[in-house]
Amino acid sequence: MNNFSEANQWDYLYTARRRVIACATVIEELLPLLPEDVASETLDFGLHLHPDDLKRALQEKINEASQHADVLLLGYGLCSMAVVGLHTTTAHVVIPRVDDCIAIFLGSCNAYKEQAKKEPGTYYLTKGWIEVGDSPFEEYKRLSEKFGELKAGRIIRLMLKNYTRLGFINTGQYEIERYREYARKTADKFNLRFEEIDGSPALVKKMVFGPWNEEFLVMKPGQTVKYTDFVKP
Amino acid sequence: MSKELIDAIVDMREEDAVKITAQLLDGGTDPLVVLDACREAMGVIGMRFETGESFISELILAGEILSQISAIVKPRIQKGGAEKKIGKVILGTVQGDIHDIAKDIVGFMLDVNGFEVTNLGVDVPPAKFVEAVKSSGAKIVGLSGFLTLAFDPMKDTVAAIKAAGLNEVKIMIGGGQIDENIRQYTGADAYGKDAMAAVALAKSWS
Repeated sequence: MNNFSEANQWDYLYTARRRVIACATVIEELLPLLPEDVASETLDFGLHLHPDDLKRALQEKINEASQHADVLLLGYGLCSMAVVGLHTTTAHVVIPRVDDCIAIFLGSCNAYKEQAKKEPGTYYLTKGWIEVGDSPFEEYKRLSEKFGELKAGRIIRLMLKNYTRLGFINTGQYEIERYREYARKTADKFNLRFEEIDGSPALVKKMVFGPWNEEFLVMKPGQTVKYTDFVKP
Repeated sequence: MSKELIDAIVDMREEDAVKITAQLLDGGTDPLVVLDACREAMGVIGMRFETGESFISELILAGEILSQISAIVKPRIQKGGAEKKIGKVILGTVQGDIHDIAKDIVGFMLDVNGFEVTNLGVDVPPAKFVEAVKSSGAKIVGLSGFLTLAFDPMKDTVAAIKAAGLNEVKIMIGGGQIDENIRQYTGADAYGKDAMAAVALAKSWS
């Protein structure tokens, strides 16, 4: 890393050798925005179910990517604390200060908190989740094979018993109709109220082009992510 | 026979588990032995979930099986007069979170281990916890939350309990990725990794 004064540090970082490391669901939102000189790597979506595995995978990627880039942009939030404990030795690492990707799709941490407050029992779906098969429908299919349809239906109903709304996030980044239809069918099948929620590319745009304001954690070389880095005053 | 029950629960053979429970009790097996089998089975299921061998849906089914067994076993325990409550626990998922599968398993485990559990449900505001502690005189509160979004409401709930002057009340938290950092952040007295940890904590405070 070159030496540079605090004043021009940001300008330097915004144009430094950058590389994106993102979850398979988040990369969809980032790719249309990425300048040609910014490389990207995608990690398996399934890792989010196992935060320790995700942590290990992310640390490996950070170590590896640090050899080719000065700034790493993580397409992740706290993600069940998976990013807590990540360490960077040579690169700057930029992480949105959000709980998880729902805030990334909605465009800000506050937008997510507003939705959560309005209706905590919301099952969110996006194109990414539908593509990777993380939806009640796919779970129902898996359970039906194992336990039969009757019992599978019962388990899914129990699983969703506190959910009232299916929130389909339209981020406007892709052909929406097919996914909207799938989301609507899922809502009908499992007795949830379908609602389309407008997403926003605001946060991913800032992530790629800056400014990295209070919505981002910018780790300097030598730093380790702490939970309190994500706490807002 | 109690080994058969453990296997039935672990293998998620719901009907068999219920049938074997009834057979055991009718054959004169101590209801507490049946509950021990449940505890052991839950230990195995919890471990499988931890290692990724089973999914949340299996945990739900296990919870269902347990509550059915519990419904058969509990009247027998009360009839036998063996049950003596060792403490009261107020349990709930904090405001803004609606996940309750693991919390209800914690409730079940506390219950079968001799605690009187008041389960306030999900999305519970801090004031409701305070009210429940005051009206029941409980000395233990369990706050559950799966999402990282739940950590702030947990902190608010701990603060509300302290602000109400209920300083002798012990508060444990659990769910998702809660660890010592989050315990410190929320100001809770302890955190538990699983239902058995919750039982051990509650016992140590009684």
